[in-house]
Parts: sequence; C-alpha cells; structure tokens
Amino acid sequence: MAANQTVNKPSLKQISLSEETLMGLYTSLLRVRLLDERLRKLFRQGRFAGTYFSAVGQEATTVGPTYGLRDEDIIGPSHREIGAAVTKGLTFNEIIAQVFARSTSPDKGKSHPCHYGSRPKGVIHPASTVAGQTVVATGCAMAFKIQKKDNVAVAFFGEGATSRGGWHEALNYAGVHKLPIIYICQNNMWAESVPSTLQAGIDRFADRAKAYGFPGVTIDGNDIVEVYKTASEAIARARAGQGPTLIECLTYRWYGHSEIDPANYRRPEELEEWKKKDPVVRAEQLMIDLGLLTNEKREAMVEQITAEIEDAIKFAEASKYSEPEEAYLDVYSEKIPVRREES
Amino acid sequence: MKTTTYIEAITEAMAEEMARDERVFLIGEDIGLYGGVFKATKGLQERFGVDRVIDSPISEAYIVGGSVGAAMVGMRPIPEIQFADFITPSMDQIIQQAAKIRYRTGGQWTCPMTVRVCCGGDVGGGLYHSQINEQWFFSQPGLVVLFPSTPYDAKGLLKSAVRGEDPVIYFEHKRLYRSIKEDLPEEDFTVPIGKAAVRREGKDITIVAYGLMAHRSIDAAKALENEGISAEIIDMRTLLPWDRETIYESIKKTSRAVLVQENTKTGGVMAEVSASITEDLFDYLDAPVTRVCGLDVPMLPFAPPLEHFFLPNADKIVKAVKKVMEY
Repeated sequence: MAANQTVNKPSLKQISLSEETLMGLYTSLLRVRLLDERLRKLFRQGRFAGTYFSAVGQEATTVGPTYGLRDEDIIGPSHREIGAAVTKGLTFNEIIAQVFARSTSPDKGKSHPCHYGSRPKGVIHPASTVAGQTVVATGCAMAFKIQKKDNVAVAFFGEGATSRGGWHEALNYAGVHKLPIIYICQNNMWAESVPSTLQAGIDRFADRAKAYGFPGVTIDGNDIVEVYKTASEAIARARAGQGPTLIECLTYRWYGHSEIDPANYRRPEELEEWKKKDPVVRAEQLMIDLGLLTNEKREAMVEQITAEIEDAIKFAEASKYSEPEEAYLDVYSEKIPVRREES
Repeated sequence: MKTTTYIEAITEAMAEEMARDERVFLIGEDIGLYGGVFKATKGLQERFGVDRVIDSPISEAYIVGGSVGAAMVGMRPIPEIQFADFITPSMDQIIQQAAKIRYRTGGQWTCPMTVRVCCGGDVGGGLYHSQINEQWFFSQPGLVVLFPSTPYDAKGLLKSAVRGEDPVIYFEHKRLYRSIKEDLPEEDFTVPIGKAAVRREGKDITIVAYGLMAHRSIDAAKALENEGISAEIIDMRTLLPWDRETIYESIKKTSRAVLVQENTKTGGVMAEVSASITEDLFDYLDAPVTRVCGLDVPMLPFAPPLEHFFLPNADKIVKAVKKVMEY
C-alpha cells in the first residue's frame, strides 16, 4: 500500500515495535538511500573505476533482517547488499574507501567496488559467483551448531540465485540439520535482464523451502516493519534451534543491474508503479503518522548524513592506493611465501 | 615404531588431530556409519560422534563450501571428496571462495581447511574413478596442494595441513592406500609444507615425481643402476608452492632432468616445472628437460590394455632416462 493511500493512522501499539527500533530502522534506511544515490552519481561522474551495483528501491530487504543482529552473527551478502553492510556497522569511510579501491579499504583495493565486508562486524566480503555466499553462510551456521553457540547466519541473494546448484545443496543441508540460518531472497523480478518468469516454474520463490523441510514465506519487501518483524521471528527461531527460514521479499531495483546497464528490457510503467511503493518514503510516512518524525527533523537528519558521506568521500579521495607490491600480500598465511618476480 | 599403511597413516592423523583439537571435524559422503568407501574414516564417528564426523548428502558444493564457512568462524574442517573425479561440483567453492577469501578481504577472513581428495589410476577404476585433476588446483594461488607418497608423509603432511592457516587440497592416491607400509614413530610428528624429499641420491640424472609416480621412479632408478646410470629421485610432496630449491640443487649437480607425472601431459604440473628449469637453469643443462606423462586423452580409459597404455611406468621412465643420457 502506498503511503499516500494511508487513511487510518497507525498506532505504536498496533505496530508493536518500540520508538527506538522504528527510529533505528528508519535511520538505517535513510543512510543507505543517501549513500547509494551518492555513490551512483560518483560512478557516473567517473570518480571511481569498475562499476557500481545500486540497491536503491530494495533497502528494506537488507536493513530489516540485519537490524538487531549481533556482531558475532554472520552475514553472507551478494553484490547488492550495501544496506546490510551499513546496518551491520561498516562505516562510510570503509565503504567509500572500498569503492575508490584505496589502501584504507578493508580489502586494501583488491576485490571490487561493491564487495563490502568486515570480519569484526561479521560481514563476509562477497565473491561475484551468484549464490556463493549462500553456501558459505550455511557453513557458518553449521559451525555455530557444532560449537553450540546461539549465533545465526543470514544469507542474502536475488531470486536468480535460487537457480544455482550450490544454493539448493546448501538449503537442503540446512534443512537436514536444522541449521541456524535465515535465507533472504530479494525477488526484484529481474536477474540482470532475465525476468523471474524465466527463472522458475513456480510463482513464489518461497515455495522452494517446502522441498527442504522448513518454512518459506513471501512478504512485501518494501515494508520495513513487515520485513523486520518476519526476519526477527525467523532469527529467534534459528537461535532457539528450530532451524532455517526462507523469506522471499518482493521488491524492485530502480536502476540497471549495474550503472552501465540502462535496463531498457523493462517497461517504464513497471518502474513507475514500484516507485510509488518506495520503501524509504513509506517508512517516512509511517514515522510522521506515528508522530516520531517531522519534516524539520528529517531535513536535519539528511543534512547530517550527507555531511558524513561528504567527509567519507574526502577521506577516501585523500587516501592513497596501496603500493603495487601489496598485490603479493594476503595470498597465504605468513608461513607460506609467495614467489616474487625479479624486478 | 609401528608398521603403518598409507591409509592407516591418514586415519591416524585425523584421529590424533581430532583428539588434540576440538575444532577439527570431518564431513563427506559415506564417511560416518560406513567409515568411508576406502575405510579412511573407519571408527571415527563411533569415537568422536555424529557432530564431528558428518555423513553429508551427495553435495560436493556444500561439503566444500560449507567447510569454507565453518573454517571462517573458527573450525578446522577436513572435508572428503570421495573420488577426485567428483570434485567438479565443488570447483566454484574451492576456486572462488577458499583460494581467494584471504586475498579478497585484505587478510581479514581466512580458511584453514583441508580437503582430502582420493585420487589416482592403476586400480581399474575407469574413466570416472581414476582421475587426479591436481593441475586445476596447482594453477590457483591461495591454495596449498599436497600429494604424499609414503605413510610418513601422508601422516605428517595431513597434520601440517590441519594445523596450518591456509586452504589445502590434499591428494591421497588410492593405489598406495594398502600397497605400501613403513614403520612410523609413536610420537607426534609433522612434515613441513613446501619441502620436497630426496628419495634416492644419484649423480647422473634427476628424476622428479610425486604420488604413485615417485614409486615408479624409484623402481626405474633401481633398474638404471644395473646399467650404470645413477639417478637422483626427488619426490615433490608439496605441489603448490613447489620446492624449487631442492629440485634446482639436484639439477645443478646432474645437469639432466626427467619429470614424471601420472596425469595428462598438456598443462600439467611438470609443464610448469619444466618451463621453470629451462628459464632458470639453462646454462646448467646438458640435455632437454624431458617429461614422462599420462597421454593427452581423458584420464583414464577402463580396459586394462588401454589403462596400462595410458599410464607412465618404470619401463617408460627408463627409456626416457636413457634417451636423455644419450643426448
């Protein structure tokens, strides 16, 4: 339901979330949206190389399941999970230094602009092979079970990833062993240029969970409250040893697969319809309706976050690239030397 | 000292590491209740329980990929690939995750995992139970590739792998499982990663090999001795990173080299060793560096005459050595 269609104003009691949680969720959404839009522009201005995968339009699907996780919980993201990275605690400095491939980036400039990660924050820097981190995150959950810890793993992927063999092997294993993992499928209807109707012979990707013996649910992925609550229940079940959940979040990416993709395989009307369901605007309207936000307060938040982003851009641009010889480092542990070419 | 077969050495290494370190666990197909198709994990599930010796579904991508994730959060997994032929479904997880996780995260995440791969021909296994495929991993920086040929090395290298901090592909040759034994020390020992072994000293020619071919090369050296040719045998043991120093030292002494590899010739480990020797030791050589390898056809045809035609053996090595000596 679009925000401007809201007739009856909701109450905090109906939503049954605390003011603090709602404000936290909204703040994360806003931070992710502003950062993502800024990074898109930086790429289009040629300020950094490679490419950029925007997640604008999908923010609620990553912020909701991540908000409230512990540092020890592990996230296995894909390439469009800037929202999970920000919400799990990566700083703007870390993210923008990564985008600019500088020595101050967590990966020291080795991987890719959008492969955000942090071991202290429990975010696995992704590889590009689709569904790769779904398998790895399932292995983290397997370890938590062996270690008798109540940590959980959360795997993020698009609906296209559910066609991969490794994805099925991982979910099958998680079902057999009731692993503490939550699978978040961001069904944005397009796997790069292939529509979801050519991806699977079923309408609801959540139905795939039936084959593995655990619950699968399909929800409005642009409703932050619904995403947060559904994920929180699944996380609680996982922590209690009750096994995995597959959550299909219906959503839409506003821009191309990457910034070099004009996405002209889609109908413009489709995008316009989904823009009416903007997850950030809907959260904003909810906050205003609940009396937790005013336009003035929103503007102050935007100003403060924007300043933080601009500072991080300055930090990244002032950071040096790694020395070329950095290429020889982090291949093996210290015990195994890497052979260097004679210069 | 205790007389121990190659496969017993592997079982003992796993049992001792599991007893020493509770982070070590095993996962693979038929390894628990059944004790492994070759019985490498016999008795381990009874001893260590179902949480640490896990019978996996038929899911090589998960067996390895799940182990990568577990290793990243503090475990020491030893996944088993039942036959090297079946490693293909796990390639994405080995190449894109295990080999690159340290690199792509600037050293933040690591993957201390040892993938045991049962491999090799000369067992009548046919096209899909004889492969090795070591060359795929040999070309992947970030991986350690081990290939022991003796019970001592099988045990000592497996322990070094489990105690290390890097992802290891550990090849064990099924032809060696029960065909060779030796006395092993009762006390704990390890074999260093990255060091080749001189199996036999000689002065006329250097033969470099690994796995089953180390034994075939020793057989050849014995035959050559009767003809007055003194061959030095180097067993690589670690394929990646390989021990240039030991091999180069030997070739500087002998000025001649024959390189023996069970797998197909093109793009194999010995192609790299050969190229490196030519690049670095050209002035020391008295003859072309020569390879004795499996044929450039799919490894390994089933019918016995075809299998034997494919595989290098002592006769083929002797013939190549003589040709190099006569150059």
